[in-house]
Amino acid sequence: MTVLDAPAGSAVPAVPGQGLVPVFVRLKLTLLRNGLRQSSGRRAAYAASLVVTVLFAAGQVIGLIALRGHAQADTLVVLLTAVVALGWAVMPLFFPSGDETLDPGRLVMLPLRPRPLIGALLVASLIGIGPLFTFTLALGSVIAVAHGAAAAVSGAVAVPLTLLVCVALARSVATANIRLLTSRKGRDLAVLSGLVIAVGIQFVNFGAQSLGRAGGLSSLEPVADVVRWLPPASALGAVASASEGSYGTALGQLLLSVLALGGLMWLWQRSLVKLMTSPDGSTIAAAGPAAGRAGAGRSGLLSRLPEGRTGTVMRRSLLYVVRDPKTKASWVTALAIGLIVPLLNAVQGSGSVYFACFAAGMLGMQMYNQFGQDTSAFWTVALSISSTRDAYVELRARALALLLITLPYTVLVTVVTAAVLGDRGALPGVMGLSFALLGAMLATGAVASALFPYSVPQDGAFKNAMPGQGGLAWISVLGGMVAAAVLSGPVIGLTVWLHVAGHRDLLWLLLPVGAVYGAFIAWLGVRLAAARTADRLPEILAAVSKG
Amino acid sequence: MPEQTDSADVTGTAGTAPGPPPAVRVEGLWKRFGEQVAVSGIDLELPAGRFIGLVGPNGAGKTTTLSMVTGLLRPDMGRIEVAGHDVWRDPVEVKSRIGVLPEGLRLFERLSGRELLGYTGRLRGLPGAETDKRATQLLDVLDLAGAQHKLVVDYSTGMRKKIGLASALLHNPEVLFLDEPFEGVDPVSAQTIRGVLERYTRSGATVVFSSHVMELVESLCDWVAVMAAGRIRAQGTLAEVRGEAASLQDAFLELVGAGTRDTGESLDWLGGAR
Repeated sequence: MTVLDAPAGSAVPAVPGQGLVPVFVRLKLTLLRNGLRQSSGRRAAYAASLVVTVLFAAGQVIGLIALRGHAQADTLVVLLTAVVALGWAVMPLFFPSGDETLDPGRLVMLPLRPRPLIGALLVASLIGIGPLFTFTLALGSVIAVAHGAAAAVSGAVAVPLTLLVCVALARSVATANIRLLTSRKGRDLAVLSGLVIAVGIQFVNFGAQSLGRAGGLSSLEPVADVVRWLPPASALGAVASASEGSYGTALGQLLLSVLALGGLMWLWQRSLVKLMTSPDGSTIAAAGPAAGRAGAGRSGLLSRLPEGRTGTVMRRSLLYVVRDPKTKASWVTALAIGLIVPLLNAVQGSGSVYFACFAAGMLGMQMYNQFGQDTSAFWTVALSISSTRDAYVELRARALALLLITLPYTVLVTVVTAAVLGDRGALPGVMGLSFALLGAMLATGAVASALFPYSVPQDGAFKNAMPGQGGLAWISVLGGMVAAAVLSGPVIGLTVWLHVAGHRDLLWLLLPVGAVYGAFIAWLGVRLAAARTADRLPEILAAVSKG
Repeated sequence: MPEQTDSADVTGTAGTAPGPPPAVRVEGLWKRFGEQVAVSGIDLELPAGRFIGLVGPNGAGKTTTLSMVTGLLRPDMGRIEVAGHDVWRDPVEVKSRIGVLPEGLRLFERLSGRELLGYTGRLRGLPGAETDKRATQLLDVLDLAGAQHKLVVDYSTGMRKKIGLASALLHNPEVLFLDEPFEGVDPVSAQTIRGVLERYTRSGATVVFSSHVMELVESLCDWVAVMAAGRIRAQGTLAEVRGEAASLQDAFLELVGAGTRDTGESLDWLGGAR
């Protein structure tokens, strides 16, 4: 549109500021619509999140209205707004690619002045699910705390003010950090954000529990007294102040929010201008000195791996656990959950020492979709596999690399769980069962890797399969886990029999039996998978290259 | 280790001399993706010891053909031989003889350049010490020594192509397949790549590379195959394919049936009064 129109339309001087707002609003709507047009899955996801948000927002408004007249309504309202504003500030760091109109690199060639551009961008960013949610929150809050004409008037100002401050906050944070966000390290960070959120939920959970014990909202009043002066919560604080007749305070609080909006817009404009008039990250990186010795030489444990294909593949696998954000995230999750579940149950006194087998199951899951973890770089592997033997060595090396971490870890989790429960007698049996389960998971994982490979998207913390392959991923992992449970059936059966028949003194037998059985099953699985892998190299490559 | 074909004497007589088998022989090769026929029954014979260009517009089927020839994509029908061995029936013989630089596929990007070469060489069965020696020389020649400890994910396009070329050359293959090796590469890196390839073919090895930049093909190759819409339109020495035309570009446009399109009246405002 612009390229061909610009020289032809001789009556197009600098674009007037007012004309820009509808252009950007239309751009935003078009991008949204085209994004949804790409896949029905995305449409469904968007529709679902819209419905959930609307329901949630409606519930929130109703709840806030019900709160009207409650003594601590203003405390809650102010704190809620502060939490939402915090969300707005943090969101762009975790989901940087959410909004294409955010990227100043796309606007840099257009003849636009910063001031009208900022205005238009601000208006355009009011469209979306997030702003809708924030708007209903602000509206409900005003209804909850506004009493009297003055409060209603200040409420009419506070609602748009809150919304604008939130949006401007998100935009200025994103623009200020866009160098980081568009760099490789920033994208790696975004992939790891899933972990941060998982840990954050634990903290919120903990906080909510201690709040319940400490006597409810009244314990938060001191915090709220500070927060009601912080924009954008201060805008709603102003409504509460006006209701109580403290008009001076109300005016001050409103003014604070207005100042904050102005300050954020100024910051945003400054970083935008700086971004659009200075060389971008790629130029800087290319001009800079070749720094960072990422992998200088072989060191430590990795240097002691054997020569040949086995050691080479193990070394690459282990390096990827440390360096690839996606692999790292999945490993850290497995290690954390594999320890937390048995241990927490043990600490609460409700668990059995057999919960320790959970660690083996979680870690064994890392064997699934081995080739998908390679992404399309699998072609390097495919070109070096010309026989079943090659495929066998490749898969065995990957399983060995996995065992290098999982074996000691399984032992550790089992020993710690048994120690916490004080059930030392069961230790060898549980360990044997864990080994059998680990072996079965490796076996089914290897077979699933060969038969049901799928692409792992490299961006985004929460996507683990490409659209259209999600079902495949679920079936392969779920089916594999059931199969692994069945495969370790003999050892499970032996355990049950020893308990039922009262041979508790023979439980130690499970350790050698489980270890040998696990090793045998794993070997068998890798053998079977190797033949299928060698036969299906082009098909596997096609399946893992969709990312 | 694959031995080098002794083919210093094939200049000008390829295809007729009973010497070594052709580097690549393709018969009746088909590939269909859903409704779209990407490669429709091509026959191709690429002589050994040449610098061969596979040219064609975007979407002509070059990448699909090269993927099938290198064993990365299963054909629907047809026979492919590389250095006299069937690609699909005899992968042991073929895979050790070829080097590949694909287009649009990733590398193991979380390894540093040096680690990637070390990994690829050992995966190919080269002894560790030999791999490291060759890697050092390749990194030097390709001007990557300064960036050898940087992760490949932080490399520029030109550097990626160069490290990809290095890992394709590491095991000294008989036939080297390069898919768009100069795409997005800066002139300095392009010259470096060119130098390495020219030196490599002088030893008697075969390079097959795809491109849609005719000037490049004309200046580098001595043998050309022209592809369009899934078919081979012409193949032979550069002179044969060029024929009467002034340049390969002209011959190519004629072959693929894309004459000079007159813009007519439709852009009359362009360059007019402002």
